[in-house]
Amino acid sequence: MQIKQIFTHTLIGLAIGVFSQSVSAEAIIDKPAPAFTGTTADGGKLSLDSLKGKTVVLEWTNHECPFVKKHYESGNIPQLQKDAAAKNIVWVQVNSSAEGKQGHVSGAEATKLNESRSAKPAYVVLDANGKIGQAYGAQTTPHIYIVDPKGILVYKGGIDDIPTAKVEDLPKANNYVREVWAALADGKKVPHASTKPYGCSIKYSS
Amino acid sequence: MMFKGYSIRNLMLWVLWMGLSLPVMAASNQASTPQVTATLISSHSHIAPGEQIILGIKLDILPHWHTYWRNPGDSGTVTTIGWKFSQPVEAGDVVWPLPDRFKMGPIVNYGYENSVTLPTPLKLPADLKPGKPLKVQAVVDWLVCKEECIPQQVVLSLDLPVVAAGQGQKTAAPDIDLALERQPAKVSWPVRLQGSDGSLTLLVDAPELADSAVKDIWFYPYEWGKIAQSHEQVVTKTATGIAIELHAGDMPLQPGEALEGVLIAKEQSTETSGYLLNPKLQTVTESSPAETGTDSLLLAIFLAFAGGMVLNLMPCVFPVLSIKALSLISHSSLGRGELIRQGLVYTLGVVVSFVALALVLVLLKAGGAQVGWGFQFQSAWFVFLMTYLMFTVGLNLSGVFTIGGGISGVGSHLADKPGYWGSFFTGVLATIVATPCTAPFMAAALGFALARPAPELIVIFISLGLGLAFPYLLLTSWPGLQKVLPKPGIWMEYTKQFFAFPMYAAAVWLVWVLAQQQGELAVVLVLSGFVLIALAAWIYAISRGASSTRLKFANAGVVLVVGLAIGLVTLLAETPTEALPDKQAKSLKQNWQPYSAEKLESLLAEGKPVFLNFTAAWCISCLVNEKVALSQPEVVQAFEQQGITYLKGDWTNKDAEITKILTKFGRSGVPLYVFYPAGHAGKPIELPQILTPASVLSHIQP
Repeated sequence: MQIKQIFTHTLIGLAIGVFSQSVSAEAIIDKPAPAFTGTTADGGKLSLDSLKGKTVVLEWTNHECPFVKKHYESGNIPQLQKDAAAKNIVWVQVNSSAEGKQGHVSGAEATKLNESRSAKPAYVVLDANGKIGQAYGAQTTPHIYIVDPKGILVYKGGIDDIPTAKVEDLPKANNYVREVWAALADGKKVPHASTKPYGCSIKYSS
Repeated sequence: MMFKGYSIRNLMLWVLWMGLSLPVMAASNQASTPQVTATLISSHSHIAPGEQIILGIKLDILPHWHTYWRNPGDSGTVTTIGWKFSQPVEAGDVVWPLPDRFKMGPIVNYGYENSVTLPTPLKLPADLKPGKPLKVQAVVDWLVCKEECIPQQVVLSLDLPVVAAGQGQKTAAPDIDLALERQPAKVSWPVRLQGSDGSLTLLVDAPELADSAVKDIWFYPYEWGKIAQSHEQVVTKTATGIAIELHAGDMPLQPGEALEGVLIAKEQSTETSGYLLNPKLQTVTESSPAETGTDSLLLAIFLAFAGGMVLNLMPCVFPVLSIKALSLISHSSLGRGELIRQGLVYTLGVVVSFVALALVLVLLKAGGAQVGWGFQFQSAWFVFLMTYLMFTVGLNLSGVFTIGGGISGVGSHLADKPGYWGSFFTGVLATIVATPCTAPFMAAALGFALARPAPELIVIFISLGLGLAFPYLLLTSWPGLQKVLPKPGIWMEYTKQFFAFPMYAAAVWLVWVLAQQQGELAVVLVLSGFVLIALAAWIYAISRGASSTRLKFANAGVVLVVGLAIGLVTLLAETPTEALPDKQAKSLKQNWQPYSAEKLESLLAEGKPVFLNFTAAWCISCLVNEKVALSQPEVVQAFEQQGITYLKGDWTNKDAEITKILTKFGRSGVPLYVFYPAGHAGKPIELPQILTPASVLSHIQP
């Protein structure tokens, strides 16, 4: 009986390993970030594993959300993306808006949208079924997660500390992404590893 | 702050965009956006120096849209008001009316629909100059969301005539009055917050919250991150109020840190009440005698004592004690002092056994094990040995063999003093056979005991033991009572033999328990064990009074055969538990499904009604309830008609998941019956431990 059980479990395990392109675990600070493999805007695949060795920023987005507009139309996020590329940090835009809901885009639309906003994320991951978003517990747009080169989650929360949709608040705000980058560069502990995310709710399918 | 991308072009874009979404900049006390109409109102038409007035921002919101509370929840933004006055006046903080909550997929938000007024108190300075009106300007920022969200801003203004001190005039402002009514009340209920490993329990000792009229209870924290707000808050009734299950958030509380927020209870009549709570986090091991008070400990001790007395009537305990009482009758010629000593030694045997049990529990708890009452029956070893014990006692009562003078021998050995050891072990035996019978009284006391620190747990167990020993002790120490007992005679022998049958019945039941726990093989093994034990008993009986050589052989035979019987148990311990998966597979054809926390959560999330039954093969009252109530056609039919999902948790073997939910309901053992009514707001209803079809139906009435 036991052998049969082990056999069954192994079979199930294999099946999961082979057929899933989804995600595992939970997003907990100082723990390995949930692994995922997602479809990118250009139709390719991106797995978090393949980015090991580099710092990764995950940014949940919805271009119609006023909070996201604040950070794109002011040039704040595009600038962060440029700076990330210069520092060899991988910026991944994740879109978890379900089909038919606000902010849902096709790969081509996403690319065009970024061009029009002079935004240059390293990758755009389309997550219309919300699997990656829900594995990370992403709630808002924007919602930021930062993974260190070892694959450990070092930050989750808001993009900065002033939760408004007002552009004039940007110069006064403490940008948490830059704070994390500085801490990682100095080999220091991230000062605010978990902060309040703010923005629109992510438009999940359910 | 470094901010390279902030160019003039972007600024202009922003101005354009804000201009589009903000059509309103009028110098009036009212302004509208497509979704919201905001009005600035005052509690006073004329204001005077030194007075306190209240200004309100009334938001009339398009149906299905909402604005946010002071803690907006998982997303959203709090509404802010920037005040400007023509004279130096300081505005207080918004006093937030009770919010509603909105759930969208996995996201929970706190805010307001339809209409809300946000009152702000204003203390007017004593040197406010009368004559010229006070010009008030309020810049109000909010985020209004349906599914999509729109940030909006309006500027409202109002002129308030200033009159001489003492001449201020109030005006009718029903919206402000309503907002001030919809405030959380300060309460003096004992409130505790216990937690470990990310799970928190908020205990509110307020019986009114456990009232059946209360349909929805939710705790709204003031701050983000202390608890995970999107997590379903499971509310259960306790003996003294309610317990709410919370989960730690992304900025968890430190021990000693307070969780400030509002508990909102909605009644059927749509009456809504809010209560301000501010409990400090205690870790579970931390005891708080001051807060629970000694009353509850005394009550638990009393209940344990009463429960112990009731145990005397349990089917397994009663025969054992009756035999003891019979032997007492035989010894009626003994001196009074001797009788009392016998009673005391018996009491000691019981109490020592209970203390030993309590110590085992304390150790298991210290080791972090999830334990509950009846836990010992989850060990196949224990059940096996209990089965043998019941069977052996039965053989003894039937007269197959006698030990020492034996009870049957007492008539001819009246001069013999019955041994103190005999009395002591009767006490131990009574305790062992009593353990599976959790009398209804004891459930509460034991549940309490298991949650308490070690010394209190031991005190409660001692009280339980004293309760069990009390009737017998009374009998031995009260000559008046002894006189009421009938005279010795042959009827004693018949009674004793008759009592063998409850013991055999108990053994049969335990065999069935083993079959549930360990499968068919166990039944064969334990029945073979019976044959061996009977064989040993027979060898022992026929060799009594035999010559010393034959006696030696006989004794060796007994040891060998008993050893074989025990050996069977070892064989069994090697075989893994297989019965459970099979049983669950079969269950698909039944009207119930096996319990799992995930299943319950997902059913509740869908708003489906759920009936929970926690049972164990060794729990007789559980089985009786299932037979006479839960599997009756009218109940099965009612479950079907109301679409109730019937989940059954089997605690026959160890199951941490089930122990966890039992603990949540303040229980330490089975049975436990809970009904979750349909709808997300449903509060679980606990059913009594003894069920009838009628009582089940009355609880699940929609």
